[in-house]
Amino acid sequence: MPSDQSKPVQDAERLAALPDAGPRNPEPAGFLRRSILAGGLLLLFGLPFVLLLLLALGQYWRFPDVLPPVYALDALTRVVSADSALATGFLLSLLIATVVAVVSTAGGFVVARAIAGASRPDRWVTLSYLPYALPPVLLAVLIQPYFIRLHLSGSLAGVVLGLLLITIPFAALFFRSFWGEQAKQYEQLSRTLGCTQVQAFRWVLLPLARPLLITCLFQTFLIAWFDFGLTNYLSVGKVQTLTVQVFIYVGEANSRLAAVASLLLLIPPALLLWVNRKAIVRRVF
Amino acid sequence: MKQWSLLLWLYALLVVGLPLAGLFNAFLYSVGLAGPLATGFTARYWQQLPGETSLLASLGFSLYVAVVSVGLAIAIALFLVLRHQAALRRRPFPTLLYVPLLFPSLVMAFYLFQLLSGSGWLARMAYQLHLIQSPDGFPELIQDGAGIGILLAQVGLAFPFFTLLFQSLYVDARLDDLRSLTRTLGASGWQFNRRVAIPILIRRAAPTLVLYGVAVLGAYDIPLLLGRNYPQMLSLFITTKLQRFDLSDLPMGYLIGCLFTLVLMAVIYVTTRWTQRHAL
Repeated sequence: MPSDQSKPVQDAERLAALPDAGPRNPEPAGFLRRSILAGGLLLLFGLPFVLLLLLALGQYWRFPDVLPPVYALDALTRVVSADSALATGFLLSLLIATVVAVVSTAGGFVVARAIAGASRPDRWVTLSYLPYALPPVLLAVLIQPYFIRLHLSGSLAGVVLGLLLITIPFAALFFRSFWGEQAKQYEQLSRTLGCTQVQAFRWVLLPLARPLLITCLFQTFLIAWFDFGLTNYLSVGKVQTLTVQVFIYVGEANSRLAAVASLLLLIPPALLLWVNRKAIVRRVF
Repeated sequence: MKQWSLLLWLYALLVVGLPLAGLFNAFLYSVGLAGPLATGFTARYWQQLPGETSLLASLGFSLYVAVVSVGLAIAIALFLVLRHQAALRRRPFPTLLYVPLLFPSLVMAFYLFQLLSGSGWLARMAYQLHLIQSPDGFPELIQDGAGIGILLAQVGLAFPFFTLLFQSLYVDARLDDLRSLTRTLGASGWQFNRRVAIPILIRRAAPTLVLYGVAVLGAYDIPLLLGRNYPQMLSLFITTKLQRFDLSDLPMGYLIGCLFTLVLMAVIYVTTRWTQRHAL
């Protein structure tokens, strides 16, 4: 591979390393312009949260009321009741996204090592882009006949496998920058100093890759967490993750529960944004 | 080395083999060799393809949404990065721009549905301001012929991402230094933007922009909630054909799915090879 191998991680690091505060600009005009821009973007990005909260809390909110006449917490409290579909959907989404994230991060890390050692890594990189860059629902359309024959259609295992078809190539592309010359040299050095291959992997390479592993874990989690098209198509509506539930509630014109499900969907990515900004941006180029 | 090679072949079998097998299966459906109504080889569905006016409408509509939404998002992102460079480096912008990335596309579509529909939040405000007399008086912004709702959702999701992307490339390419240099040599701010900054940013971001365009071309969630039944975006058009009760629609659905996948694969292939060749 040419020098672009280190590009993805560099890009992710550059995004995270953008300075929070530049040199002070004492010009009042600059301050005013910045305030207007910040206000505009805050309004644009904050409005969805406001509207979703109003929808979740408001009762009997009909046209032409601008605000709900009554507020109640009953829709939100449904989330904590153990037998509710929302709670089940939340736990199901959490389970699927966690399994997909762990398996694809581990798998992608090892596959990227194999690609780095292959005679024509470029070809493997190109091949990896195909399933990752295809629209998920189109991928689901293609593999569904085989999933039906294997009795995976409509099952949790089928959804997880379908998502892994996207996330493993993504993780392999993500880690290809790690397996460059530096990692090889560290591995050789540790082997020279008496480590076995397993020890070198466990005590040298894994700690070295730890920040990337965490970022990849977050990003693959989000791919699975956000997915609707592939999950809905492969599960034929039987595996009701939170995104599927949003769609079902919208179809039933139940905007309150759709809003609650939407707000639940925002929790993990918001936590990730709080913990680590670069975990949110998905980029492999 | 042997175990790595075995692993790679297993990987190829799973992540490339399965979709390719699906593609082959779709082809067999399209020539009458697979599926519940298969009666032997026929070129009937391929011959009917040029007459599928709904497919042409769907293709045109998808291309229109992809080009317009990605184009608008690029224009907004370039405007922010080039005109508000100093502001973007200060709080709260570096964090603020990440906020829209928290939204799954389905949630964004649901939000816009509640905001822009005839009985949505904006229509209620317009009614209270006596701008309209009933929900019908509010302009059609979702499930409309021009796909305004779809475009707004796609642009709303894309422009913060493109802004972050261009901003990182701006810093990486040291465009501030180049700006000073060009100003010293007598160029105006507009000339610097047009002849130096925009070509550099677009060229470096091109692979990501193309792949983003592919994603919009195959978008499913947003048009499902905000689109019309006719014309539909391609992914929706294909899945609708495949999920109908009429089994005779299956071959045509698989044929279109097969061709659409091949075209997207070709675009992805050319983009990645070009990226590798130019070390972008």
